Order: sequence, then C-alpha cells, then structure tokens
Amino acid sequence: MKNAHPLLQALEALYPPERLLTRDAQLLTYESDALTAFHSKPAAAVIPISEAEVIETVRLCHQLAVPFVARGSGTSLSGGSLPIADGLLVALNRLNRIKSIDPEQRIAVVEPGVVNLHITHAAAPYGLYYAPDPSSQSICTIGGNIAFNSGGAHCLKYGMTSNHVLGMKVVLADGAVTEFGSDSLDGCGVGPDLIGLFVGSEGLFGIALEITVRLLPQPERYRTLLAAYDDLGKAGDAVSRVVASGMLPGAIEIMDRLAIQAAEAAVQAGYPDAEALLIVELEGEAPQVEAEFAQLQAMMRASGAFELRSARDEAERARIWKGRKGAFSAVGRLSPDYIVQDGVVPRSRLGEALTRIKALKTKHQLEVANVFHAGDGNLHPLILYDGRQPGALEKAEALAGEILALCIKLGGSITGEHGVGMEKRDYMPAMFSEQELDIMQALRRAIDPKEIANRGKMFPSGEAPALQQRGMHPLERQGVISRE
Amino acid sequence: MRHSITSDDIRAPEMAKAIESCVHCGFCLAACPTYASLGEEMNSPRGRIVLMKNVLEARLPAAEAQEYIDRCLGCMACVPACPSGVAYGDLLVSYRAMQEKQRQRPPLDAIARRLIRETLPYPRRFRLAARAGKLGAALGAALPAPFAAMLNLLPGSLPPAMPLPPLLPAQGEKRGKVAILLGCVQQALAPNINYAAAQVLAANGIEVHIPPRQSCCGSILLHVGAEADARELARRNFQAMPADVDAIITTAAGCGSGIDDYALLFKGQPDSAEAADFSQKVLDFSAYLAAVGLRAPLGFSQERRVVYQDACHLLHAQGLQREPRTLLRQIPNLRLLPIADAGMCCGSAGTYNIDQPAIAAELGGRKAESILAAAPDAVVSGNIGCITQLRQQFTSRGEALPVLHIAELLQQAYSHSAASS
Amino acid sequence: MTTQSKPRAVAELQDFVRGNTLVHARGNGSKSALHPAAADIAIADLSLMRGIVEYQPAEFTLSARAGSPIAELKAALAAEGQYLPFDPLLPERATIGGTVAANLSGSRRYRYGGLRDFILGASVVDGGGRAYTVGGKVVKNAAGFDLSKFLVGSLGQYAIMTELTFKVFPDAPHFSSLRLRYQTLDAALAAIFFLNQSIFELDALDLLPAADGWSLLARLGGGADALPPRLERIRAALQSETAPQAAEEVADTARLWQPLRQLDAAFVAKVVLPPKRIPALERGISGCQRRYSCGGNIAWVATEDIAALDRALAALGLAGLCLQGDCEKPLLGKAPESILSARVKAALDPDGKLV
Repeated sequence: MKNAHPLLQALEALYPPERLLTRDAQLLTYESDALTAFHSKPAAAVIPISEAEVIETVRLCHQLAVPFVARGSGTSLSGGSLPIADGLLVALNRLNRIKSIDPEQRIAVVEPGVVNLHITHAAAPYGLYYAPDPSSQSICTIGGNIAFNSGGAHCLKYGMTSNHVLGMKVVLADGAVTEFGSDSLDGCGVGPDLIGLFVGSEGLFGIALEITVRLLPQPERYRTLLAAYDDLGKAGDAVSRVVASGMLPGAIEIMDRLAIQAAEAAVQAGYPDAEALLIVELEGEAPQVEAEFAQLQAMMRASGAFELRSARDEAERARIWKGRKGAFSAVGRLSPDYIVQDGVVPRSRLGEALTRIKALKTKHQLEVANVFHAGDGNLHPLILYDGRQPGALEKAEALAGEILALCIKLGGSITGEHGVGMEKRDYMPAMFSEQELDIMQALRRAIDPKEIANRGKMFPSGEAPALQQRGMHPLERQGVISRE
Repeated sequence: MRHSITSDDIRAPEMAKAIESCVHCGFCLAACPTYASLGEEMNSPRGRIVLMKNVLEARLPAAEAQEYIDRCLGCMACVPACPSGVAYGDLLVSYRAMQEKQRQRPPLDAIARRLIRETLPYPRRFRLAARAGKLGAALGAALPAPFAAMLNLLPGSLPPAMPLPPLLPAQGEKRGKVAILLGCVQQALAPNINYAAAQVLAANGIEVHIPPRQSCCGSILLHVGAEADARELARRNFQAMPADVDAIITTAAGCGSGIDDYALLFKGQPDSAEAADFSQKVLDFSAYLAAVGLRAPLGFSQERRVVYQDACHLLHAQGLQREPRTLLRQIPNLRLLPIADAGMCCGSAGTYNIDQPAIAAELGGRKAESILAAAPDAVVSGNIGCITQLRQQFTSRGEALPVLHIAELLQQAYSHSAASS
Repeated sequence: MTTQSKPRAVAELQDFVRGNTLVHARGNGSKSALHPAAADIAIADLSLMRGIVEYQPAEFTLSARAGSPIAELKAALAAEGQYLPFDPLLPERATIGGTVAANLSGSRRYRYGGLRDFILGASVVDGGGRAYTVGGKVVKNAAGFDLSKFLVGSLGQYAIMTELTFKVFPDAPHFSSLRLRYQTLDAALAAIFFLNQSIFELDALDLLPAADGWSLLARLGGGADALPPRLERIRAALQSETAPQAAEEVADTARLWQPLRQLDAAFVAKVVLPPKRIPALERGISGCQRRYSCGGNIAWVATEDIAALDRALAALGLAGLCLQGDCEKPLLGKAPESILSARVKAALDPDGKLV
C-alpha cells in the first residue's frame, strides 16, 4: 500500500495525522504482539476514538479489499493480533470508556479498548467484579478477550469470556452493523446464541464495538492453599482427589520446578522449594468455604504434600497469584526465547501427559517449564530455547508439535484459551477433519466474503508471514497430518 | 527478543542484555504514565525497547525514534512491573548517554540544555539563574514552552540559604554516624529539607557530617548525556565524603537512583571500583532512618491526615515502598491515607517538566486530583521534584495544601512534641 | 401426507435430510408450539437416537445422543453426585436436543449460568446433509469457531443435533429454601437488587405473584453444617435491609423449583428481560399467569391470547418464545437478530431445508 493508495487517502480524510500512523518508528512498535517469533509491519495503523470511525474504517477496507487487523494491547500469545503486511492495523486502545455500570442488575456496558481489570476496578465500589482473569488482565483489553475467548486461572467455576458476555454490538467485516443479546442474564435468550459464535472467532468476523458484560459479587471469603510436592505426578493425583471430593474450587493450578524458580525470581512470591506446587483456591460464603477448607487441608496432607501453606491475608494471596500470573514472562529470565503451549487434555490423563512431556523433553534435549490450569486440564508447557543457536527454533517447534499431537491423541485440544492465531494454524488439520475446516471456511466467507478481517489467522496456510519453517511440519513428520 | 546489535558503545552489552530479556508481554504498559496518557505502543516501555533495539541494530535512524525516547519519564515504574526482569534503566540511561553525544538539538532547545548543564549542578549559579528567570517570567507567554515550564516550577522567590555546620553531634546516646550529600537543585529551592534531615538525624542519636567541599552527584548531567561532566562531579564527592561513616545520606530521590547508575557511568573507567563502593554507601534518608528506628518523643497533638506521595525514584528505582510509610506510622496521631494509582508518576521526573511540559502537566493534574480526593491535611514526599510539581498543581487549583519533604514532617513532629510537653 | 422418519443412526438422518426439501427435527414433542404442521415438511424424529455416549465424572463432562430424555441424564448424573448446572426446564419428557434447540434453562441457572455456558460440543447433520462435530469434548477448548454455542436456541433451523457434550458440576448435597413476602413489586425487586450485590451465593431466586403481593423464593445449596447458619444470615440480612412482610423457610421440593408447574393456559411462553423491565412487562401483560425466574431475568408467561402477548412484547422491545400451544409463529415480540444469523444459515443450510 503506497502513499497514493486510495485507502490511505480516504483514511487521511477520516483521521487527523496524530491518529493515522504511517512512519517507520511508529509502525515498528506494532510489528509483534506477545509472540515475538512473528513480526510483520502494517502499511498504516489508525487509532479511532469513536464507534463511527471504526465502522467507516471497516467499510473502506471492505470496499477497497484491504485486509485489517483489530488490536487491543497486543498481549496475544498465539500471534492473534499480528498485523498483516501492507494491511491496516486498527488500534482500539482509545475506545476505552466504561459506558455504564448497573450494579443492581450486575451488568456493565464497555467499549472494546477497556482494560479487563479496569472493569473490576469500576465495579469494586459495589462489591462486584468481572470474573475472567487472564494473566495479562492488568493490560489486556475486552476486545481482545472477546476475539480469543480468553480464560484465566479462575475459569473452572465461572467459565471464560464467552460466559460473561450478555450483549454485543459489532461491525462485521463488510461494514454491516448488527446487535445481539440483551441486558438480561439470559443474553441472546431467544434465537441462536450469536454471542457464543462471535466470541472466540479470533477477529475473523469483525470488530466488537460495544459489549455488555455480567458482573459477579466478590466472594465473601477466599482461601488459598499452596501444597508442595517432591514429584509432579503426586500433584496431579492430588487434583483428582479434589475433583472426586465434590468440591468446586475457584482455581486449581500446578507449577513445576522450573516455573517455580522463574516466578520466584520475578516476584518473590514465597513459594517453597519443590518439584511441583499445587495452588487450590476456594471462594464463596465464609461458612461454606471454611468448612471445605478444613476438608481440603486434610485431603492435601493425605496426598503426600511435604508442605502446606495457606495465605493468611489478602496481601499473601495477591503474592501467590502474582507469582503464578507472571510465570510466563518470568521465564524470560531463564531463557532468551520460549514457546508457550496451550494444549488441553482430559483432566484424568494429566499425569500421563506430564510423564510423556518429560520423556519428550529428554528426547529433544530441551528445557520445558510447566504451568497449568489443572482444574481444566489446560497445559502451558513453556519450551525454552535460544533463537541465536542455529536450528534451536526448529527443535523447539518440533517438540511443541509433539506436545500438541499428544494432546489431540489423549482426546483434548490444541488450545484451551490462547486461540489458534498464527501459531497453531498449521495444527488445525490435526484436530479437525477436512470437512470441518471446510465448514468453518464457508462460514467465514459467508460473513467476510473478501476475507479481509484478520486474514491469515486460524486457518492453515494463510497468507500472513509464517514463522520460518523449513522442511516438513513437525506433525507431518509424525504422520499426524499430511498435505496431499 | 532476539536482536542483532553490533554497536561498539561501551555499554552495548548492558543494552543488549536488557533487550534480550524482554519478551514483549506487555505487562509494562499498565505501569507506564506516558502509555496511560497517550495509549500508543511507541510511547510505552516495550515500544521504546523495540525502537532502541532497531536504532542499535542500525535499522532505524536515531532521529526518528528520538521523540518517543525523549518522552520517557525515566520513572522506572515499568521495572518492578516487568516479570522478565528487563533492566530498562540500564538500557535507557546507556542509550540516552550514547545518543546525546550524537544528537543535534534545535537552537532554542540547545540553549535550554546549556542552561541546565551549567546552572543546575551548582546551587549558587542556580540561585542566580532563578532570579534572572523571575525577571523573565513577566515575558512568559513570549517564551518557548520548555522555558515557560521551567519558570513555572520556580517559586515566587527563593528562600534564604540555610548553611549547615560541617558536623552536627549526635544527641543523647550515639547510634550511628553518617554524612549528608546535599545535592544541587534541592539545596537551592528548599534548603530546609537538608536542614531538617540533619536535625532529625541528630535528634535520633546520629552524628551527622556535612562535608563543605561536596558537589552535585552528577545525575542530572547523566540524564542529559553529559557523561564526562557527570563523572567529574561524582569524583569530587569520592574525595569529599569521609570514609568511616555508616552511610551517605541523600534526601533527594533522584540523587539516590542516579548514584545507583554509577556502575554504568563508570563502566570501563579506572576508578569504577571506587564508584561502586561509593554508590553502595549511599542511602535514602527514609531507608536509613527506618532501619535505625525513630526515637520518642514525637507526634502531633491533633490528628493529621497525610498522603504519602511515592517518588518514582524511590518507589520504582530503589524499591522503597515500605520504609517511608514505616516512619510515618511511627508518628503518633498521624493518619496515613491511601490514594488511587499511588505508583503512577506525578510527571516531575528530573528534567521532564522542562522537556515534556504537556504530558508533565497532565500527569501532575491526575496526581493532584487523586490526592485531593483523599482530603488530606498535608502531602509528604521524599523528592523535591514531586514536591515542586505538586505545589504548583495545588496553587493553580487554589488549594492551600502543604507539601512537605518527609524530613520536614518529622522535624515538625519532633518540635510539636517538644512544644506540647 | 407428512413424511416421517425415526433414524437410529447418523447416516440414516443424513439420507433423510438429503432426500427431502423441507425438514423439521423433533424429539419427544414436549414443546407443542415449536412443531410446524405443514404437509410438505418432512419430520425427523430423533427420539430413538438416545443414550449416554460417554460420562466421565472425573472429567466433569457428559456426552449423550440428542434424543436422550433429560430424566435419564439427570439420573445418571445424580448417581455420581453431579448435575447439569443450567437446570433443564422440562425434566419429565423433554429430550436434551430439544432443550438445547429451544434454549430452556431452569431456575437453578441463576447460580452458575445457562445452557450456553455448559455446552461444550455437538455432532450435527446440517442442511446440506453433512455430518460433523463442532466444539470439543474437554471442558476448555478455544480452537476454531464455537458453533456449539450457536446451536443453543437455534430451533434446529441451521443444523440438526445428533449428540451433545456438556460440562457438568458436582451438585450440592443439601438445600434449603426461603419464601419472602413483599407487598409491592418494587419492594420485591429491591430485594433482588440487594441480593445481586450481596455475598450470598444463591442456587436459585424466583419471583412470583401471590395473593397479597409478591413472593420471592430463594434457594441455598451446600454442606449440611454450613447451610443453617447461611440461611439464618441471609434471612437476617433480608429482614433488616428489605423489610419483607414474612420470611419463612419452606420445604425444598422439586415441585417448588419447577417454574412451569402452576402455569396453566392455552399458551406458555418464555420471555427474556432484565429485571428492571418487569414493571413494564407487568403493565403489558396484566391478567396472565407468570413467574420470573433466575433473579427476574427470564419470565415464564401463560396466556389465552398469544397474539396479544406477541404485540405487548413487540411494543416493549422484548423477545419471547412460545413453547406450548397451537401457535402459528413461536417467535414472539422483538424480531431476533437477522444479519449474522442469515449468513450462518447460508453456510450451514444453503438450500433453506431446515425449518
């Protein structure tokens, strides 16, 4: 897209110069999201400050068939907000108004650029909060959460982003504007659940302009227990005990030694020195939580934990979670590069998955730090490598591929909450049949005939620049997928 | 982030290390005042890291990145926010020093810089320049924005100098021995701070030395890239400060964090070990006093509602969050009030008020509002920059809220208690 | 004459869809208003495609064929101390497929969420006769478009569900119910709003007209030891904050929490609304029997005059669905979204076969 490109000319009429970014120094900083293995420079970036500007921008892109990517804070771990080379980037950060909060009906109406945690801050005076808590909640935006149906440590009980959206106004990829859902807790209620379809569509359908979210009352009591184990398998078994007990904790998390070390170095969370750490958090009405907590402690003691610690106050609880939530980035202290995986396995096969991952890392001679939402069976192996070493990235990718193949084989998924984005698009054929992918493509084309919204993401062999990949795909080598 | 930095700058390894450890996760955005204000990647910590990386890799002309690097307050709020432990301060200070040597500034800016270089480090000259500035204030509107900002920061008239003796003996049982580093700007704008600090230390049984031949720490000069001059000033202090003290006390947050950067400033210099020894000895007033503990009697006869304003160079750069609060909580009848976004910069940040007046004013306004919302009787800080910024904000709002250095408040608490007993 | 088929296998259903121009899917026919009677519509009766396919209590997941009666699923879950937290509305005869197609969650949806919040995946035969799966079988999955949620409320008009997978939860071992009486609707709503912002975690909260005002039914679930003090706390809080005329514990029976049990008229409909619209709806439907479920977010309305209800809802901008009764057009009031739905229809059922 040269300066003389009609889109740029039209954008100049729509945006003042300070909100139409075209200079190298500006665009360079938008080249990557939180997955820096990919980078790609857009032709321009715009910073709309009104719904009307977003709609008009999308219409122009459709009219001129220029691909666009909508972006919030660029915290995607799957390359989901990677710009399209020579396409347009729409940065929604200044559409960041919380339009209204109705504490009585427990709903808030927000713009897409509102930061996740800011909703909780705004709701806190009423004793309410916004439940989905991705680790990046202090900065990630609701728009991005919608695109990727973001989860978090506390999704076991109350679900992911999709479960907290009641209504939306969106502009589809061709500029058509539509609204669905309602202010009722029943959301769409009558007619197909379009919220469920739109949330998690990875920006391929259009851009959310206004979102009605539900708020939850802050639990009266939290009880957070840290259990330390000398063996990862024991921690996994302890999870099965919790689940079998009939308790429904707010969060069940496991970290292995390497992850503990990284988190400890980053935030001094006060984690014990252990092979594995299990964090179980109960939340709810005090009499219920206290009764369950006593039961939980006894259960954890019986599970072979060599040390139990419970948070004595809110500050201690915050520190425990800060360590957990900073664990990914903290791995930056251990290694210049890493790949985060996001596979899901049936919970009962967690132990098996961990044992196999251990064998795989030995086979590939790579370090892997494990952090996972054990309650959901959602694994986050972090594969450490040094990108400056020739062949290191390929080795890490090969291991990542084997881990994903393992997740599928165990009956799980290639992604629990980070989405497919750029990173896992080539693994889609391993999880879905050709027909299923065809249906999804047909759906996408019915909504975005010119395939301009976040082009290149989710579907295999898109046009956006890929991670340098030479030779066969790791899954091809294992015979899981083939391109005939 | 991977990089291909080939720069032969002496601090290139430190810069490369900081860039390498950044994983671009974005956690720093939430802590960054310029990102909060502008909402753009190039005005965020990770964006600036990308820009510096590209300049160091010779992929981007330095001039194109400059505006965004300049806009960084250097508040270091991103450092504790960073889970990867990126040494952003090392990168920024090294990069700025490197660029400063090469950069051509527009003529008016250059005059302002010269004024900073030749006046700020020397209290006497600064007093003279400030008086001259006061004359120029009448012409305020006709002057370029940076000048106006600098003039606005100055009080209507400078207070009289308050000379301190070379030695203040410990009162009562002797509990320690320190030297005070007086600093430059602060000594001209508010000589009472060091005076109060010396009195409070002495009242707590500390023997206080105030070597007369000392100089500015050089931190401001390092900020504007005049490294050799900065080292020259630092070396004067190596000579001037007595060796047998428990600590060298500073009452200016900027001096404390600037001296922490001596490792970078003296890298490759023959006296780098001496610089390291010196910087190890330097402690902020609040950190030292919190460690030795306050002596009774002190306190106020009536409740005083106080907001503590965290200076970035104490909170983020030196990690001093608890220490000043520990001191304040030891004062009977003082109620410490929490404020929203306590960790967010007030916009003062060294010479930032002069370089980036618009953002500085916006951040100052936000800070003033969140403080006023708590309805305090007084605001306390550990940094002259914050104090000046907040005073100006309150004055422009018609608020007569006193803004004190923590040493001054402690001094009041001691004299109040003495008067009432 | 209407063509009808009772397929036992997916392939049979595929053939049936391919072989007919207009196809309507049904289960046990528990929602009489949702089945068109035109002669040119072929009926796919899924009542023989039943049974649990996979139930792993440790995974919190259950997969069943679409024609499975709710009662069968509930019994299997209860044997393991688990339940479907969205609380299927019609537990007696309804099938799980029909419950999803009509989006019918019961009163207990108040605690954790509705049907859409617990559906994980589905196998379908779409309008093109293609059989495939959407969503997944694990409790968390973010790969691909989530068409399984889209099926909720889709009335079988985009694809026919043949198998469904849900997330299930451990059920509370004990329950207590409380009945509160308020003189006015405003007072009862104020009590709902108070509870919405409180620390109390109610299993269900329904509002219904009573002889001398309004009844608010609140239900708590949990451990046996914690339940009595919790009930006492909530009763005390409601008494001091909302001044009910009476606050009495009532026997916690299944009947009490079956919202349709007292609604008896020619037509029964679901209406979606935020609780603050209840006063407006009350004015629009005076004379109808009704119960407000899920903290006042869903209304169950029984009426003799469905056309009047349709008009009233349209005037209020509310959407409804007629479940029982011989009615021409089950979608009531405000028309559902059409732009995005039409595009999905074009992709899944390009020939417009499924009605």
